[in-house]
Amino acid sequence: MKRTATILCLTLGLLALLDFGVGQVLGWAERSGRLGSLVQYFEYGRSVPGKLARWQDRPGTPGNLMDVAWRPEMIARSAVEFEAEAPTTQPVIRGYGMSFVNNILQSAATQDPGLILDLHSGPAAPPNFTYALFEEDRDNRRAGDVAVLGILSSSVPAMGALSNSTWMFEQPAPFTYPVYYLEENGLRRVEPLVSSQDSFHALRLDPATRAAWQDQLKSEDHFHALATFGVPSLDASPFVRLARRSLATSHVQSTQQDILRSGAYPYGEVLRRMVVTFAQTARSDRQRPVIFLIQTRDATDADLLEILKPVLEAQDIPYLATVEHFDPRDPSGFLGDGHYKPQIDQRFARAFVDLITP
Amino acid sequence: MLFTELVFWAFFAVVAVLYVVLPHRAQNRMLLVASYVFYGAWDWRFLSLILLSTAVDYVVGLRMHTAPQGVQRRRLLGISLAVNLGMLGVFKYFGFFVESFQSLLGTVGYVADPFVLSIVLPVGISFYTFQTLSYTIDIYRRDMAPTRDFFDFALFVAFFPQLVAGPIERARTLLPNITQPRQLSWDNLRRGAVLCLFGLIKKVVIADGIAPSVDAVYASPDPARLDVILATWLFAIQIYCDFSGYTDIARGVAKMLGFGLMRNFAQPYFATNPQEFWRRWHISLSTWLRDYLYVSLGGNRGGAGRTYRNLMLTMTLGGLWHGAAWNFILWGLYQGGALALHRTLTGRHAHRGEGGRRSAGHWIGQVLKIALFFQVVCYGWLLFRATSFAQIVDFTQRIFSGPAGITLPSPPFAVFPALLLLLVWDVLVERSGDVAFYAKWPTVIRAGLYAGMIYLLAFGATTQTSAFIYFQF
Repeated sequence: MKRTATILCLTLGLLALLDFGVGQVLGWAERSGRLGSLVQYFEYGRSVPGKLARWQDRPGTPGNLMDVAWRPEMIARSAVEFEAEAPTTQPVIRGYGMSFVNNILQSAATQDPGLILDLHSGPAAPPNFTYALFEEDRDNRRAGDVAVLGILSSSVPAMGALSNSTWMFEQPAPFTYPVYYLEENGLRRVEPLVSSQDSFHALRLDPATRAAWQDQLKSEDHFHALATFGVPSLDASPFVRLARRSLATSHVQSTQQDILRSGAYPYGEVLRRMVVTFAQTARSDRQRPVIFLIQTRDATDADLLEILKPVLEAQDIPYLATVEHFDPRDPSGFLGDGHYKPQIDQRFARAFVDLITP
Repeated sequence: MLFTELVFWAFFAVVAVLYVVLPHRAQNRMLLVASYVFYGAWDWRFLSLILLSTAVDYVVGLRMHTAPQGVQRRRLLGISLAVNLGMLGVFKYFGFFVESFQSLLGTVGYVADPFVLSIVLPVGISFYTFQTLSYTIDIYRRDMAPTRDFFDFALFVAFFPQLVAGPIERARTLLPNITQPRQLSWDNLRRGAVLCLFGLIKKVVIADGIAPSVDAVYASPDPARLDVILATWLFAIQIYCDFSGYTDIARGVAKMLGFGLMRNFAQPYFATNPQEFWRRWHISLSTWLRDYLYVSLGGNRGGAGRTYRNLMLTMTLGGLWHGAAWNFILWGLYQGGALALHRTLTGRHAHRGEGGRRSAGHWIGQVLKIALFFQVVCYGWLLFRATSFAQIVDFTQRIFSGPAGITLPSPPFAVFPALLLLLVWDVLVERSGDVAFYAKWPTVIRAGLYAGMIYLLAFGATTQTSAFIYFQF
């Protein structure tokens, strides 16, 4: 027993020493701007409040996503730009999506320089974000425009989330969006308590609202968990950060599987109602609706075409399904970060141009 | 409940606390309940199969022991074989044989009515049925006496550390470990913990880290030549680390409770020929097949022709044991063919075991042989991993004439130091012939090693975890 206790104590002591040493090296590397990817690797494991606090304190930090994709600010900018457009402007392609949609539309604009683009996007934006953005930007489109709604397969489980901060653990952009629930024949929209950049920054000085926001995340967001949000003070230890990253990744994955497999959130029916309402809204405003179904390379993602093709065909809603033009199981079509390579985007862009060309 | 999940370790903590405070008989009863809870966490319904197999083999064992005549004994053995292999047949192979039969009829112009029965494969069924069969066959051969305690026998069948993916223990070794009081020792606790830690590194850091790269290539419709080669090499490492990682954790957990489970792997990729490979890979299955199938078929008694037939049959059935698919049968045929070819070319060789003292020149030659034979093993893994016969043909062509370039996603950085640790560890075991070689090191060095291993586990445990590959068998 004595020998075992000695080894156990020594092991824990050396582990603590190792952890302290790693912490020192990371601190030095960060100060001197070296070992960037290693520093980043350990940073990924910081708690969500810890990451957000660092972003708020250091606005210049590379990869800071604090101020991206806040809807009220985006809509306000959109309104200003719309005001600036000449009333005689020819039909504009108004995109509501994410980088995948932007890449395809920009590629289309390269192929057909006559296309005018107006892009609204958020990082890894889930359908509830893109759909809400489309709804809120209604006054900033005119008759004849093409409205593109992007649906990204890997973000479908996040339809049960109120913010990227709860399900994108490694890059928890705090922007928010509503969650949609089925209600009779339509959808009920549950708004996040924090919806704008200003209201988010104000949380620091308003403990009551901060607590209310945390309560809403706990009750309404399928992804919110102690593993990702709890005990930020432990972030001081690189070892704990590694362990947290493992727990958090595992938690997010299992929640995604719960949503996709056991129906913890009725994403399929919500998506079907979203695309139908999207098309009805666009058509009633004399705009042309187009749905982008972006299938990413993860084979466990929701199969967007299988879920939506029947309703898209029944309602005669034009769509571009990437899976019909490139097999996402083929890794040769992807960049290291998971985006499609430019030549594959060109293929999608050609299909899009064909789709909107009378 | 996976060994890689926190819930398992919480479960084990509860089991361990109860184990320490209970006397021997009560320990066994508690372990039996824990084993059923462990298995029931997957699917309670399939506990009925374990109970059926347990009850039948318990009764068969007792009756067989007292039955004086050969005919009665044979009949009783037949019942055990029919029940256990019948369960395997229905739950594992029925759908496969029906589909294959329908395809065969289709090729000669008959269109059979589609008869599709969706049967869920109970996890671990191939492992526990083989384990219980070893009990009745050993009694039939009069190699052992049956146990009279039903609950001890039930624990032998369902002992949770090795229930779902082995090692496939023999009743002769595990039952005495159950029936006799066990010594809890700090040494066992330490060694068990190190086994668990090393097993977790193999599974979580290496196997799970590599898996996405392999999956990407094997799912790709148009991989490059280098993709196929590298992905197959990586799969060889993945399946070794996945399966031997499981075994290490199973052995570690059992050791902490005072049980000694057999080694299932002995540095298999250091083999230089097929015979040696099968002495090092999945040892509990290969020795089971040797003792209960190959020997029963006649082994090498009866001339060269019969020996080759028996080899091919044993390995083909060994392939089929892994799963109801043609690629596993093909893999078994490939392994049987390799063994037969090796036997033809070299005759019977003396076993090159661990721990021998050899010269540097000898080791250089060995490394070259090992590297060459590794390619032979890897082609077998290609057959094993492929998702269809068409993919086997396609990937084989691509090895020789596939397009240039490489699209294989790189594994995470943590995989590389973990692989280095694995290589050094296996070399040290191979050279010393001692699986606990580190136990002779000074305490501080050992503690440093453990601390480093814990840190490495945390460093690499950020990737997506998946179920153990051998659970599907």
